[in-house]
Amino acid sequence: MLLATARTFSFTGIALPRRAAGARFQVMAAANDSPELNAQADAQAGLLAAMARGEKAALAGLYDSLAKPLYSLAYRVTNDATEAQDIIQDVFLQLWHKAADYHVSRGSVFSWAATLTRNRAIDRVRMRKRRAEILAESAGELQPAAPAGDTDSAGSLWAQEKAGAVRAALTRLAPEQQKAIELAYFSGLTQQEIAARLNEPLGTIKARIRRGLLQLRQSLPAHL
Amino acid sequence: MSTERQEELAALHAFGLLEGAERDAFVSEFAANLELRALCDSLAGTAAAVALTAPPIDPPAGLKARILAAADQPTGTGRVISFPLLKFAPWAVAAALAIAVTWFASQNLTLRQENLTLRSERQLAEVAYKMAQNQLSERSLLAEKMIAELGTQLRQSEDLTRLKVTALASLAGNSKEAQAIAVWNPAQQSGLLTIERLPAIAATQDYQIWIVDPAYPNPVNGGVFQVGPDGRVALGFKPDQPVAQVAAFAISLERKGGVPKAEGPIVLLGK
Repeated sequence: MLLATARTFSFTGIALPRRAAGARFQVMAAANDSPELNAQADAQAGLLAAMARGEKAALAGLYDSLAKPLYSLAYRVTNDATEAQDIIQDVFLQLWHKAADYHVSRGSVFSWAATLTRNRAIDRVRMRKRRAEILAESAGELQPAAPAGDTDSAGSLWAQEKAGAVRAALTRLAPEQQKAIELAYFSGLTQQEIAARLNEPLGTIKARIRRGLLQLRQSLPAHL
Repeated sequence: MSTERQEELAALHAFGLLEGAERDAFVSEFAANLELRALCDSLAGTAAAVALTAPPIDPPAGLKARILAAADQPTGTGRVISFPLLKFAPWAVAAALAIAVTWFASQNLTLRQENLTLRSERQLAEVAYKMAQNQLSERSLLAEKMIAELGTQLRQSEDLTRLKVTALASLAGNSKEAQAIAVWNPAQQSGLLTIERLPAIAATQDYQIWIVDPAYPNPVNGGVFQVGPDGRVALGFKPDQPVAQVAAFAISLERKGGVPKAEGPIVLLGK
C-alpha cells in the first residue's frame, strides 16, 4: 500500500510530487475525522444557502471552491474544453437557481454538483456520439498532468486535498477494480459495454464495481 | 443489513449503470427501505468523489465572469437555456391530465352513445329484415298462388285450345234458317249445343245429336232434345261411348226417345 501511494498515480493520471506522498497518505488515513474537511463541506453548504437567498457573492465563492474539480471532471468526460465550459456554466447557473432545493440529506454540495456535472457531460458525450473517440483518447494508462493544475485558490486547495485522498484510496484498490470504476464513472458506458471493453463476464464487472466502491467508501472522508 | 445483491445494485445505481426495469425496481426497493436508501446515498457520495480523480485543469479565466453575468440575467436568457415555465410544469401536467381525462370521458360517452345508436340501428335493421323476410314469404306464397292460378288459367287456355267448335249447317233444306254451334271438350268428354230457329217437331218425335268418331262404325249417340216454341236450344250433351276424335256432329230427327243408331233424316251437320 505504501508503494502504491508513493508512486506516481497511474489510474488518475495526476502526477503528484513524490515528496508529498507520505503526507497525502496521512491525510487520507485521517480523512474521515478531519475537521478541516468537514468545515469546508459546511462552508459550501453555507454558500449554497446564501445563494438561495440571492447572494451573488456566494455564487462567486462556490465557484472558487468547486469550479476547478468540476471543470476537470467535465473535461475528463467530454475531452472538449468548449463543452466543459458550457457544462460548468450550466451547472453553476442551475445551482444558482436551484439552491433553495438543496438539502444536506441529499449529500454534500460537492457530490450534488459533481453528479450534475457528470450527468450533463455524459449526456453530451452520448449526444455527440463520440463515445468511441473519447474512450480512445482517454484510454491511456498515463495522462499528462494539467499545466495549470498547481495555481490554486483556497477553494481549489481544498479540492486538491480531497483529490489526494480519493486518489490514494483508489490506489489501494486492485487495478482491475480501479479500471472498472474509472469506466463506470467517466466513460458513460453501460454495464454490458464495460464488460465487453474489459473482456470480462458481466457478473465479474458488477462484483468489481461493488467491491471497489465499498472499499473506496471505507477509505474516504465522510464529507466530500 | 443489506445483502450482497443490494450492495451490488446500489453500487451500479451510484454510477448510473442501472437501466429500465432493473433501475425502476431498485428505486422502488430502496424507497421503502431506509437502510438501503442510506447505503445508496452513501455510495452515491463516494462515486461522486471519483470526480476528483480527473486530471486537474483550471477553468478558463473568463468563465467565472461569464457565469456571474449570466446569473444576473432573467431566467431564460443567456447561454444556459432555462425554462421559467417549468415551474408551471406540474400545473400544466395536471391540466393536461384533466383535459385528457375529460377528453377520454367525452370520447367514452360519445362511443357509448354511438354504441347505443348502433345497437338501435342494428335492432331496427333486424326488425326490418324480419319484416322483409315475412313480406318475402308472403310474396312468395302469393307468387306461388299466382303461379298456380296462372298455371290453372294456362291449362284452361290449353283446354280451350283443345275445344272443338263446329258450326252445323242445314242439310236437305228441311231447317234452312237454323243456326247451330256445337262445342266439344275432349278432356271432359262433353259438349254444348246451341241452336236458333230450329223448326218445331211433333210430340212423337225428338231431335237426336250424334258424334261422328272414325273409331266407330256408326255415329255415337249424344242424346235427344226438344225445341221450344222460339226455336232455341241450349243443350249440354254427353256421348254414350268415349270419343277419341270428333270428325263431325250431326242432328237427326228420330222417333220419341231416340234410337241407338240413326234412322231418321239428318237435319243439321257440321264438321
